[in-house]
Amino acid sequence: MNEPASPGRDRLDAELERIWGNPRGWRALSVVNHSVLGLRFMGTALVFFLIGGILAMLMRTQLAMPDQRLLDAEFYNQAFTMHGTVMMFLFAVPMLEGLAVYLIPKMIGARDLVFPRLSAFGYWCYLFGGLILISSLFLGLAPNTGWFMYTPLSSTVHTPGSNSDFWLLGVTFIEISAVSTAIELVVSILRSRTAGMSLDRMPLFAWYILGMSLMIVAGFPPLILGSILLELERAAGLPFFDVARGGDPVLWQHLFWLFGHPEVYIIFLPAAGIVSTLIPVFAQRPIVGYRWVVLSIITTGFLSFSLWVHHMFTIGIPHLAQAFFSAASMLVAIPTAIQVFAWLATLWTGKPVLRLPMLWLIGFLVVFVAGGLTGVMLALVPFNWQVHDTHFVVAHMHYVLVGGMFFPLVAGLYYWLPHVSGRMPSEQLGRWGFWLTFIGFNLTFLIMHWTGLLGMPRRVYTYEAGLGWDLPNLVSSIGGFVMAIGIATVLLDIALHFRFGRVALRNPWHADSLEWATGTPPRAYNFASQPDCTTRHPLWEHPDLPDGIAEGKHWLANAGHGRRETLGTDPVSGSVREIMRLPGNSWLPLVIALGLAVMFIALLARSYPIAALAALASVALMLRWSWVNGLHPALYDESGAFPAGALPLHPHTFDGPGLWGMGVTLLANASLFLSLLFGWFYLWTVAPLWQAPATSPLPATTLLIAALPLTAATLWIRRIVTRLRNGTAAHLQVQLWGIAVLGVAYIAVLVQVLIAAPLSPTRTAHDAVIAVFLGYLLLHAALACVLAALQALRVRRGYVGHHAPYETVIVEKWWSYTLLTFWLTYGCVVLFPAGWGGS
Amino acid sequence: MLAPSHPLQLALGLIVWSVWFVALYGGLSIGCALAPPDADLGARTWLNGLLAALTAMTAAWLVWQLRRCWRAARSRTDDAPNRRFITILSAGIYAVAAVSTLVIGIPVLGLPPCP
Repeated sequence: MNEPASPGRDRLDAELERIWGNPRGWRALSVVNHSVLGLRFMGTALVFFLIGGILAMLMRTQLAMPDQRLLDAEFYNQAFTMHGTVMMFLFAVPMLEGLAVYLIPKMIGARDLVFPRLSAFGYWCYLFGGLILISSLFLGLAPNTGWFMYTPLSSTVHTPGSNSDFWLLGVTFIEISAVSTAIELVVSILRSRTAGMSLDRMPLFAWYILGMSLMIVAGFPPLILGSILLELERAAGLPFFDVARGGDPVLWQHLFWLFGHPEVYIIFLPAAGIVSTLIPVFAQRPIVGYRWVVLSIITTGFLSFSLWVHHMFTIGIPHLAQAFFSAASMLVAIPTAIQVFAWLATLWTGKPVLRLPMLWLIGFLVVFVAGGLTGVMLALVPFNWQVHDTHFVVAHMHYVLVGGMFFPLVAGLYYWLPHVSGRMPSEQLGRWGFWLTFIGFNLTFLIMHWTGLLGMPRRVYTYEAGLGWDLPNLVSSIGGFVMAIGIATVLLDIALHFRFGRVALRNPWHADSLEWATGTPPRAYNFASQPDCTTRHPLWEHPDLPDGIAEGKHWLANAGHGRRETLGTDPVSGSVREIMRLPGNSWLPLVIALGLAVMFIALLARSYPIAALAALASVALMLRWSWVNGLHPALYDESGAFPAGALPLHPHTFDGPGLWGMGVTLLANASLFLSLLFGWFYLWTVAPLWQAPATSPLPATTLLIAALPLTAATLWIRRIVTRLRNGTAAHLQVQLWGIAVLGVAYIAVLVQVLIAAPLSPTRTAHDAVIAVFLGYLLLHAALACVLAALQALRVRRGYVGHHAPYETVIVEKWWSYTLLTFWLTYGCVVLFPAGWGGS
Repeated sequence: MLAPSHPLQLALGLIVWSVWFVALYGGLSIGCALAPPDADLGARTWLNGLLAALTAMTAAWLVWQLRRCWRAARSRTDDAPNRRFITILSAGIYAVAAVSTLVIGIPVLGLPPCP
């Protein structure tokens, strides 16, 4: 164990505070600490939740009586579109990611997430994207075509204003945040758990967040691609969804729901993680069926990607295909049911204590199980046809999402409040809040099932009297306001507890997991020393562990080097591999996100030169970000960094967190690329007026010539990595320059192809998709060249070499991916049409 | 071949299932676009046969992997607990994948492919 002599507790705290402490005042904007950012995520999500809630109240007021004229049709359209968009994109996902950002390092015994600047960047992208989206409400230009933005309604013909652009650009900006945070969480969970925390000892919450994050990585890119394509269609006239020019609006539905259905589980999984964490604590026993629950998490993660077409049962898909998706939709209920049985069995065999968080968990079980049952009903094709686009679907969705996410979330907030504030909430006020919310919710949405069965379609801004919808709508509206009072009571309780709450004892709920081994509230570094984890329930089996941690009796209790450090461990066994040096506070995440915000606003205003400048500035700043890495003096202190016999610092290894980060990033990238391939083949086989020439408009031979320098450069960098592994780094700088030059040659040929090819991207969807393929290849090639050149410069500075090889390994992955996507594109765009023939 | 306790086993069964699912839905769509069988034939078409064969082969491979992981879990009781955890969990994943393949694939036996 890398365990120096234990310094005094106060001295250790002072040293760590000097290194990890968060600045105040305006410098607080540069903070990258996970606790601060997690709380910022959650606080911002709460504000957006209130905005979404106000929109819901306006809608319920409008629908309370027939023939109301409180809202006109246009504002009602904007209200329901923004309510759904805000709740899904600005509240649910960021709130849960924020909770994960706050909790995960503490639960896995780490000092911070592994890419702290990425956490900050994710937060700022979320904030600015949310502000852009919300600003549309005040400008009267809010999106108005429903939160799933179906084409052609959202296309220029039917929505000529900027309404759809606000959605497409704002949501894409927010998705950058979601994906970057997810990448950060995946790598942190896999590579920075404390010593000995093997996979089978990992807290269930971490399993759930791992599942959620991987689902975000795979599930968000289809929508990012769809949004890019639709914005290209709206802004530049590329007709991906225009039937007359060979596109197909149903492609949008596929891309949206490829994201949209997994999104439900992306929201549910972390909420279920809260349930699986809290129930054992309040039942005072370990969860029943830990392995079964992990099995359910993994299964849900995969199966939920096979359901998307059940949102499209009414659009004319063959019966057999509908049967596939119907069966898959019913199957996905099984892993969820396994978890419900595990929770019930834990309560049954434990000694449950009915504290405030438990009340919300019981509410969750009732509401969510009911929502799950109507989900199985909707999986049946004939029933689905009957209630499609009625209030029944709205009611089902709210049972699943409010039951499956909001109730566990409030349980979790109450449970971890003492961790954040060091004070306990009021049981009495909290119970009032629960019952009002629970009764109000069921009054609103249980009744809404009947409204739907009576035939009331969703998204109508008013209705005539005498259709049988008057009374149920009135009851739903009253219930909505009761629920709002309940939520206001909860928020009041939370606000008051910071001032009047009873001071919390250490580990006030007698929990088993490591987050309660930190102080309450925690220090910026979480743990003065990182503990050995020998069990799934560290605080139940070692109640005195927090004292040992604070006294520096465990790992990394030496802070004399003045740098931020956390353990890097094996993803399976949790054995310690290296020490990770983490970057400190930085303005770059804020400034880059601001640059991107300028770019998105310029795109909204169709000021393309400004957008291009902002994009270039952001990229330049990102390169600066990547410069302060590895052996950069800001992170590396040669004198004490690599003492004999000690653990290596991560830049000296071949398997640092950056490599894992690149791997997960490429997974997201591959998901986007596969979605593009799907779009290509989908249009080719299904689009009614698809127009393709007999042979590809791209010159096959010239493209093969382009492949030569790209293939050579990739093989070259792979050879460099092999030699680095063998301890040889001769002429590394020159070689990297050579690789960059080969990349430039590849780009030159590709640009030549783009200019010379007879493409008319605004005339046919066929050519538009090819143009996107070429743009994708060019972007990847350009970045590959810049990364290789940057590596060469870093070799010159001594930041990279045989003593610090890990960055080259990362860059090599990007080159390999660039090569792979080139050949796949070549196969699909050049070879496939030759075999299939034109139409 | 991956060892039963390799961490990738935790996902492999369901990755194979995902590929099968894409092939099933994609194969059906392409088959119906290229050479739609006569609707009067019902489910007794070349396309149903092809998809059923694909389903059976995939399920068989998944069951074989399930058996492999399960036997490894039972015989190697002296493996490190985290390795044994992976092996047992992987057996479960293969079981889920095999069952999912069969359940989702069953309609191929009874429904005409294209209408």
